[in-house]
Amino acid sequence: MPFTAKSGKFNASIKAVTIGTGDKAITIGGENVLPFYTFDAPIENAPKVGVEITDFGMENEPECIKKYYEGCTTLAEIAKKAASFEGVDFLCFRMEGGDPNGANKSTEELIAALKEVADAVDLPLVVSGSKNVEKDAELLTKAAEALQGKNAVILPAREENYKTVGAAAGLAYGQIVGAESSVDINLAKQLNVLLTQLGVNASNIAMNVGTATAGYGYEYVASTMQRVKAAALSQNDTQLQMPIITPVASETWGVKESITSEADIPEWGDQERRGVDMEVQTAAADLACGSNAVILKHPTSIATISKMIKELI
Amino acid sequence: MALKGLDIFKLSPKKNCKECGSPTCMAFSMKVAQGAVDISACPYFSEEAKAQLSEATAPPMKTVKVGTGSEEFSLGGETVLERHEKTFVSKTRYAAFVCNCMDAATIDAKLSQIPAVEYERISEKMYVEMIYVNYAADGQSDYVELVKKAAALGRTMVLGCTDVEVAKAALAVCKDSKPVLNGATPDNYEAMNQVAKEAGVVLGVSGANMNEIYDTVKALEAAGNKDLVIDTTGATIKETFANTVQLRRAAIKDGDRSCGYPSIVNLRKLAKGDMHLQSALAAVFTIKYGSIVVMEEVTYAEALPLFGLRQNIFTDPQKPMRVEPGIYPINGGDENSICLTTVDFALTYFLVSGELERSGVPCNLIISDAGGLSVLTAWAAGKLSSGTIEKFWKEQDIESKIKSRKLVIPGKVAVLKGEIEAKLPGWEIIIAPTEASQLVKFLKDM
Amino acid sequence: MAKFITIGERLSTTAPAVNKAFTQRDPEPIIQRAKQQLDAGATYLDVNIGPAESDGEDLMKWAVQLLQSEFDNVPLALDTSNKKAIEAGISVYNRSKGKPIVNSADAAGRIENIDLAAANDAIVIALCNGEGIAKDNDERMGYCQMLLERGLEHGMEAEDLWFDPLFLVVKGMQDKQMQILECIKMFSDMGLNSTGGLSNNSNGMPKHIRPIMDSAMVAMAMMQGLTSAIVNPNDTRLMETIKSCDVLKNNTLYADSYLEI
Repeated sequence: MPFTAKSGKFNASIKAVTIGTGDKAITIGGENVLPFYTFDAPIENAPKVGVEITDFGMENEPECIKKYYEGCTTLAEIAKKAASFEGVDFLCFRMEGGDPNGANKSTEELIAALKEVADAVDLPLVVSGSKNVEKDAELLTKAAEALQGKNAVILPAREENYKTVGAAAGLAYGQIVGAESSVDINLAKQLNVLLTQLGVNASNIAMNVGTATAGYGYEYVASTMQRVKAAALSQNDTQLQMPIITPVASETWGVKESITSEADIPEWGDQERRGVDMEVQTAAADLACGSNAVILKHPTSIATISKMIKELI
Repeated sequence: MALKGLDIFKLSPKKNCKECGSPTCMAFSMKVAQGAVDISACPYFSEEAKAQLSEATAPPMKTVKVGTGSEEFSLGGETVLERHEKTFVSKTRYAAFVCNCMDAATIDAKLSQIPAVEYERISEKMYVEMIYVNYAADGQSDYVELVKKAAALGRTMVLGCTDVEVAKAALAVCKDSKPVLNGATPDNYEAMNQVAKEAGVVLGVSGANMNEIYDTVKALEAAGNKDLVIDTTGATIKETFANTVQLRRAAIKDGDRSCGYPSIVNLRKLAKGDMHLQSALAAVFTIKYGSIVVMEEVTYAEALPLFGLRQNIFTDPQKPMRVEPGIYPINGGDENSICLTTVDFALTYFLVSGELERSGVPCNLIISDAGGLSVLTAWAAGKLSSGTIEKFWKEQDIESKIKSRKLVIPGKVAVLKGEIEAKLPGWEIIIAPTEASQLVKFLKDM
Repeated sequence: MAKFITIGERLSTTAPAVNKAFTQRDPEPIIQRAKQQLDAGATYLDVNIGPAESDGEDLMKWAVQLLQSEFDNVPLALDTSNKKAIEAGISVYNRSKGKPIVNSADAAGRIENIDLAAANDAIVIALCNGEGIAKDNDERMGYCQMLLERGLEHGMEAEDLWFDPLFLVVKGMQDKQMQILECIKMFSDMGLNSTGGLSNNSNGMPKHIRPIMDSAMVAMAMMQGLTSAIVNPNDTRLMETIKSCDVLKNNTLYADSYLEI
């Protein structure tokens, strides 16, 4: 008796969102099955992998990442280098220096940096803010303006500033709005409702539903993503059918398993290998739970995850 | 799985004879489904129908036990497909790979690597729990000797061996430790089943594709063996993922009992030496239905994220994860270092301790018993108050262990400052920022 | 659990304006009423053309094509005692948004509508009623079994039979209300889908009372496991109650704006 598997194909599907323009444009979402369930129905748009750089350039990066950027002095050179890594589908520029509790760089300075990066590469762009909602309202509005015509993702629009960020990115300058909801599934849905009520086209919204490093409360991330996909596909909840983009590197390269040197804890072994494994395992888990795109940093992680996606799709 | 009245009704005689005391067969079926009446009250239900019903009420997935003593593990027994529906009950177990195809030096190196990984994380001992001992017909080392060596490490073993005689010989030296015999194929399952039965061990089934595996499982079930695991490893990563997911889904969702067995996923065959790819796949199969995941090696690089991920995924969604209350010195903190306190909710602990480590400032993180709740929830529930802190200070005799008299309290409970000062005389109470991410700057500026 | 399914009842020949539009094949009033109901959140629209003995087939085809072309293949319940009209309607029906519903079969004269639904892969509303109102739930469940068996014999999936307990009017049959609610629980325990003309309960009550009574009824019935109802979707209070119950039953994810979507 042959094994007969019932199909798990759904009548609903995730919305397909195209990022960038021209030959290098990418599309995420569009599937009507759970992540990597190609045996239920073909998945047309494989998940995508982004590389992250920040306005600090290499200043705050660990040695094991710096070495891949040897010789790069300007942001433009760094961006070009990042874009050249094997497996990179898009580039994420994070303006972390804007945080008023941190370096508190001016909006003008950061937008100039953003333009330098955007001019240097032809990859689709994701722009990420400073984590400060007030600053981001201003910063991301200017970023959306500066990238007009690039069809970039502007991340994050949050509960506190979605009106400003959504109106600038989604309405005035025709970008994709990235709605961020830190493992609160009801808020994830609500933000999408609010953005669509604001007039943003539903196919110009992506979500960051939350992120964590494997081992660091990851169960909340896993369940949030899985419940979002379940509602989107099995309940046809149109307000949760936006694809998910998950920043990974900015989390995983902050935990002790990734940054403790081998000298400090010799039995843990090579730091680079540890950092990469923390990054790839977290990214792989995100993808298995429902992320349509992940944002990484280490070139080996990018190549590994890109290879895994190809193998699974 | 609870049966609906409809499932029972479909098998009922539909005579409406009322002999059972119910007006119709449908009413009777409903009562049986509710457990109000036993099915035997109906004289006309066929034996076959009753057998079908008892099959349908059996758990969707077998729980299989392997190993002995402290190394005994339950595999399988899951009732849901995603962890938010109900807790996953049997953790994924990772097995390090050795093979008689390796030379003696490699084998020794591999085996010595296994006990090298051992640490504790949130009250759970983390170590490589299983060893996969593979047999290759053209291997250069003696398989039985290899099994003996591996057994000496005290881990539960999986014998990957499709040769009946060799398997018999290997089990002769290790069957008491209850290893898994991953050896049944469509060609040898009858003989292999005898070997497994005689040794009293769980049998692993593999095949070229799902149809072969399914047929072999059916044949083994017919021969009376349901102590099985299924090796879902296919020729490619994609095929393996499909096999593993479809098998679990057929068991849990569609109630196909012949699919309801734990899985073995052999990443060594799939990652082909790419250790980072193996790492990524181990994470995927931890989330998607790997019961035993076989890895070429498990060093700290793989273990640190993987065991953490597993701890998260297999935690009870209703119960928060807690860390043990106590004093945690950070960055070489000693009795003179500044103290900070927060709750025992694991997520809070990790966020705070991570930021403290990043600051590089030597300090003591004092975790009090707050019922595993987050700061504000614990405060609202009365589990983080001046009273609880005072009590904890006494229980743990903090003042004799620590000379510093500076205590930083969470910014979210700044209101407690005055009360704590009153209850802990001599202590300077300092209010932390409200977000953990601001701690680095805060400590450096102090 | 799936979301509660509402079947909008306002396209009915009992409304003079609709009757006139049907007779004159005037699309405007039909489209207007359909749009009002869909905007208010109706899933299905009921198309009640009455007995339509003379031109039922033509009328039903016209109505199905009109509504489905105007509203992106909106799923419909075809409501008439004229079997040929139902078949004609199904012959031009596009099922991309949901199977057609045959409204309705009962355990007496209209039991053959089950066969009709089975032959056309349609959903059927199965009214647990024979001649006259059932005296108790034993009788209702007897009809339920008869209808279910008939459907299964003809190859239907049980989920395509939506059982209707027949909601009764409070003014006159107040003592029967709990019986109806218990009957819904029995359907639900059996794993069966259910529906019904919910607003029957408030027939004859003052106009301002009816939404209140209907809302209370739908909440209690959903608690018992009712999966669908034939309702006036433009009754805001009723629709808000249904949406709230869907949240409480975890049929849909809560968001602060849940009433607006």
